[in-house]
Order: sequence, then structure tokens, then C-alpha cells
Amino acid sequence: MLKRFGFFGLMLLVAATALAIAPVIAQDDGTGPISYNSYASDPLPRAFDEGIVADWNAAHPDQPLQHSIIAHEDFKQALRAYLTAEPAPDVLSWFAGNRARFFIDRGLIMDFSETWDSAGFDDAYAPGFEALARVDEGYYFLPTSYYWWAIYYRPSVLEEVGVAAPIETWDDLLGACDAFDAAGKRAFAIGTRFRWPAAAWFDYLNMRINGPEFHTDLMLLKESYTDERVVAVFDHWQQLLDHNCFIDSPAAYDWQEAVDFMVRGDAGMYLMGGFITDQYPDELEDDLDFFRFPVINPDVPIGEDAPTDGYFIAANARNPQGAQDFLAYLGSQEVQQRALDELGRLPTRTDVDISGVSEATQKGIDLIQTADYVAQFYDRDTTPEMAEAGMDAFMAFWDDPSILNDLLAELDADRVRLAEEQAAE
Amino acid sequence: MTSIAQIQPQRARGGTRRHINWTPYLFIIVPLIVYFVWIIGPTLYTFYLSLTNWDGVSPNPSFVGLRNFERLFTDRTFHEALTNNLRWLVVFITIPTTGGLGMALVFNQEMRGGRWYKVSFYSPLVLSLSVIGLIWAWVYNPSLGLINSFLRGVGVADPPGWLGDRDLAIWCIIAAAVWRQVGYVMILYLAGLKNIDPTLTEAAIVDGASRWQLFRHVVLPLLAPVTTIVLVISMIDSLRAFDLVSIMTRGSQRTQVLANFMYIEAFNNYQMGYGAAIAVVLFSISMIFIGFYLWRVIKTELEY
Repeated sequence: MLKRFGFFGLMLLVAATALAIAPVIAQDDGTGPISYNSYASDPLPRAFDEGIVADWNAAHPDQPLQHSIIAHEDFKQALRAYLTAEPAPDVLSWFAGNRARFFIDRGLIMDFSETWDSAGFDDAYAPGFEALARVDEGYYFLPTSYYWWAIYYRPSVLEEVGVAAPIETWDDLLGACDAFDAAGKRAFAIGTRFRWPAAAWFDYLNMRINGPEFHTDLMLLKESYTDERVVAVFDHWQQLLDHNCFIDSPAAYDWQEAVDFMVRGDAGMYLMGGFITDQYPDELEDDLDFFRFPVINPDVPIGEDAPTDGYFIAANARNPQGAQDFLAYLGSQEVQQRALDELGRLPTRTDVDISGVSEATQKGIDLIQTADYVAQFYDRDTTPEMAEAGMDAFMAFWDDPSILNDLLAELDADRVRLAEEQAAE
Repeated sequence: MTSIAQIQPQRARGGTRRHINWTPYLFIIVPLIVYFVWIIGPTLYTFYLSLTNWDGVSPNPSFVGLRNFERLFTDRTFHEALTNNLRWLVVFITIPTTGGLGMALVFNQEMRGGRWYKVSFYSPLVLSLSVIGLIWAWVYNPSLGLINSFLRGVGVADPPGWLGDRDLAIWCIIAAAVWRQVGYVMILYLAGLKNIDPTLTEAAIVDGASRWQLFRHVVLPLLAPVTTIVLVISMIDSLRAFDLVSIMTRGSQRTQVLANFMYIEAFNNYQMGYGAAIAVVLFSISMIFIGFYLWRVIKTELEY
């Protein structure tokens, strides 16, 4: 009996002991294990994530990573528990903008300015991304990759309906909607069951009509939702609805399901992030292209949504030095090159070799680099509760535009309360 | 229930010389500690949190008195959620209850393939609610879903958008919940019917009772304890409705319910205090029904 238990049992015992004493081993000099939690749960990002962890472990046997991948949505909910734990996981993946700022302001994130300097990130990172990493004088968030938003379209379908791409003006956009409507199709696919695809329309209309500066102030709760400039955004949205620009019952579909309308050729365009290609059938990808959201007010600078992802270190990290070493590796040229080659994620460093990228990726890079301002996204730029209320209001407006004034008054009441709470903290 | 039944005779006996038997308390102390740490403690803490403003990460919640409740009672979403929970409740205590009872009466008779029918009506219960939510979201899909494909097939030109229609969406979700609940109620009633002494029904038939009289005056009264359980379960299930809403609409499309509203506020918006206030209100409403149930149970126990 004992003999049969023997080897396997011994292994288990060793593993259990190793796990139990692992926290003790971590030293101040950065040796010892580093815990790393990430949300890369989709197949391709997961393979990439596990690949870089394996490479790190091979190169740093004295600082092995304890890597946990948690499903995307669960990770978002669990993050607060991770960060407030004693000790917290060392390195975590997260989103730039207000989503990161929330935790930084509460002192839960470690300042890694020394590593930022010693790793030479100041020279390597584009200024826009350096700004995302910094709060006042400290560096807290390491932005490593981003993707762009654009109007994706099927050239063959637009041709069939007689619409010329790219669409560059508001009138042409409405004209395209009419042409699609006349052909018994709809210009835009959109799936708003989880609401955020509608927020993209708000972001772009607001940035194109009122400019990125007003948009940023609105996101920071400094401008009012009852402002006439916000009303103008909804006026334009109303025009889109009047011209039957969107598919019917968009709230019945999630964003992936709405892609089918494009695949079937019932809709020609989709305002979506670069990740749409993950969902798009490979055999049709030759018939997929994108262009910049048309200019509405030519007097305002061009703003684009380009959500940025990255990493940070918990303030309670068990192994702060090891965590910073690993962060320096995550921000290195080598890892960003891999992210670009394997995942098509755009690098935040300027020294990544982009000569080998596809034509589409190059076009995406140009789209962002020629923009005057880069926003994250509605639910990343404003506070979580404001985003929740805002997206609810977008959907309520979509359903019944006549209640707009009530909706905006309610939104502004929320904004005032949230701004007061923020000021009180 | 058993504990009450066991304690009862003891109390009745306890006259002059009261000897306390400590053994049961010794056994109960471990579950009691667990119960206090994991149920009573967090409940009280939630009550406290509902009086604070807390984001879930700052070290100390700040006390704000009843401000969360003031805000809650003027919050449009709260009224929407409460209305939806009440709709859910009304549907749940009527349709699955009568439907389940009817099916139980039918399948209780010896019939060809009766077992097969029972299994097929019960089978939705085997699925997790999340799976049911996903399946029904596909069924309701306006362009490719089962319902609209059928409607188009029979010539309906412009079928509804179901979950995409803000007036229909909540009813669509409740319908999916009913689909699951009917089988559950049926099983409860089937068990109740099996417990009815056949001599009673046979006696009624011998006495010349019609089928309706037999059902109304013999079977239904004998099923009363089951009916109480079914009603209470339906009420509690409709108040804690969460999974289907979370999966099918995430509370958009005017389908918010209290449990999902609480979840969104607490874990998505980082408003723990406000979420706790919703939880307290939900708890209070649930207590009405749970109290009613306990009152019934204790009353019946005493009657024996």
C-alpha cells in the first residue's frame, strides 16, 4: 500500500511544500518567484502569454513566474480583490486610462519610476504612451500594446450598392445610408446587447463634432451632459436613425453576432475595433477593409479611439524587485515585437520593427499616428459608474429619441454627484 | 424541520426537573460557528455597508447615513428593477404553478410514454441557468433565431425583435425562466401526488365524486403543503432572479432586476455602499416571504 502511494505521493508532498514555502523564499534582492496574473483567456493571446512566460522562466531560473490566466470578465471583477490582498500578486495585466487611474489614485499600484529610467523607456516610448504611464511625476502603468477603431467595410458590398469608399464627409455617410436602404440593406451592422458598441458612436460623433478637448473634459466630468454641444451629438445620431443607417433590433445581438450581417452582405459597414478580424471568417478577410470615421466639423482636431493595454505592479507586491524586473521584460522591444508578429497588437515603443507587418496593420498604424489625439474608449476614459449610466442612456435614446432631454438631465445629475464624490476623496 | 419536531416532545415533557442535555449543542456548535462567520456576519456587515460610501478598495468606508437609500428610492433603475421583479413574481406564482400542477396530474396517470414526457419536461432543470440564457438568446435572435425563422416561414413579414425590443425583452426573459420552472413544479407536485393515500381517492370515487369534485375537495387539499412550498420557492426564485438577465441582456433593454442591479453597482461601478443598500432592500422583501413560509411551517408542525 505504502509502496503504491510512494512516488506519486512524494511528488505531491514536495509540490505542496514548495507551494507553501514559496512566499517565504522571495528575497529583497528580487530573487524568488514572481506571481503574474493576466486575463489573456482567448486562444491566441493565451498562447502568446504562455510563450513569453516560458521564455522568461528559461532565462531566469532564480526568478520563476507563477502565472495564472483568469477569464477576461472574471479578471475584471476580481482585480480589486487581488490588489487589496496581503500580499497581492506581483504583476497584473490591465487597461490604460481611467480604469488604471482608479487604482493608482487609491495607492494600490506601485511606482516603478526607477525601472522606467533604468530600462530606458523614456527614449523608447512614444510621448502619447509615456503620458499614459505617468501620473504626476511617478510611473505606474506600463502600456505595451494598442489597437485602433475604424469603420470596417466590405468593398464588394459597397460597390454593389454604389457607394464609394472611403466615406469622408457627413453628407456622404447619410447618402450611403440612403443608398443601402434603397437596396433593401442597411449601411451599418451593430450589436448593442452589451451596449459598448453604441458608445463608440458617441465617442466618434462627439470627437468629430466638438473636438477631442471637449470630449476629454466630458469624460473627466468637467463638462455638462446638458451642454448644447452634447445635444448636437444626439442630433447627428438622430439623423443616422432617421436615415435607417443601422440594422433592426441591434440590442438583440452581441457584437460578434452582428458581424454576421456583414458576412451575409445584409450590411456593408461596422464601426469596430481591430479585433473584428478575429471574428471575421478568414476566407472573406480579403473583402474587408477600413477607413477613418468621416470628418464632420473640419475645424476640430482629429481624435481616434485606440484602447491601450498593459501591466502594473500591485503596491502590496510580495516581490517588488522581481516584479519590476519582469515589467522591464514585458516592456522590452523583444516582447513587443513578438506581440506584433504573433497577435498583430500595435507596439507602444518606437523601436519595434514594423517593416514586416501586413498592409492592413500598416494602415492602422498610420491611422493612429496621423491623429491629433488618441482617446481610450468611453468606458475606459470616464469613471465606471458614469460609463454605466451613459451607455444606458445611449440605448434608451436609441429606443426612444423623444426622451433625450430627460436622459441628459439625469446623466448630468449623475455627473454632478460623481464629480462631488471624486472631489471629496 | 426535523430539529423542531425532535425538540418539541422534550419541551412538552420538561416539567419539574429540567435536565439539559448538552450533547446536541456540542454537535451543533461547529456548524453554528460556520453559519455565523459566513452568513450572519456578512449579512450584518452588508447592513453596515449600506450606510456608507465605499468603493471596495479604500481602507475605510465613510459613513453617509441613509443617503444611499434616499438616492435609491429616487433612482429610475431601481423602480424599473422592482417592477420587473414584481412582474416576475406574478408570472411565477401563476403560470408555472398551474402548468406544473396540470402536467403532474396528467403524467401521474398510467400512460404510454409517461416517463419519457416527465423526463423531457424536467430536463431543462439539469441545465445551468447560464446555458439556458445562452440557448434562449439564440432562440430569440431576430434574424436567425428559431422563433423568427418559423414566423417568416409561415409568412409573417415583420416579426418582432424580441430581446431587441425594450417592451418585450423582460417578458422574453421571464418566459425562458418559466420554461425551466414548469418542470420543477411538476416534479414537486408529482412527488406530492404519490404521497396521497389511494384509499382516500378510491373512497371518494366510491362515494360518487365527479372528477372535478375529486380534484377540488380531495386531491387539492391534500396537496396543500406542496402548494405552500411551490409558492414560496416561486416567490424566492423570482426575487433572486439574476442569471438569465445577466446572460441575456446584462440588465439593458429595461430588463433590470434587483439582484443584477446590485451586482452591477457593487462590482462593476465600485459602489459597494449603494450595492449594499440594494441588497438590504432585496433582503427585506425576501424576508416577508421567508417569514410567511416559516410561519406556515411552524404552524403545521404544531398542529401534528
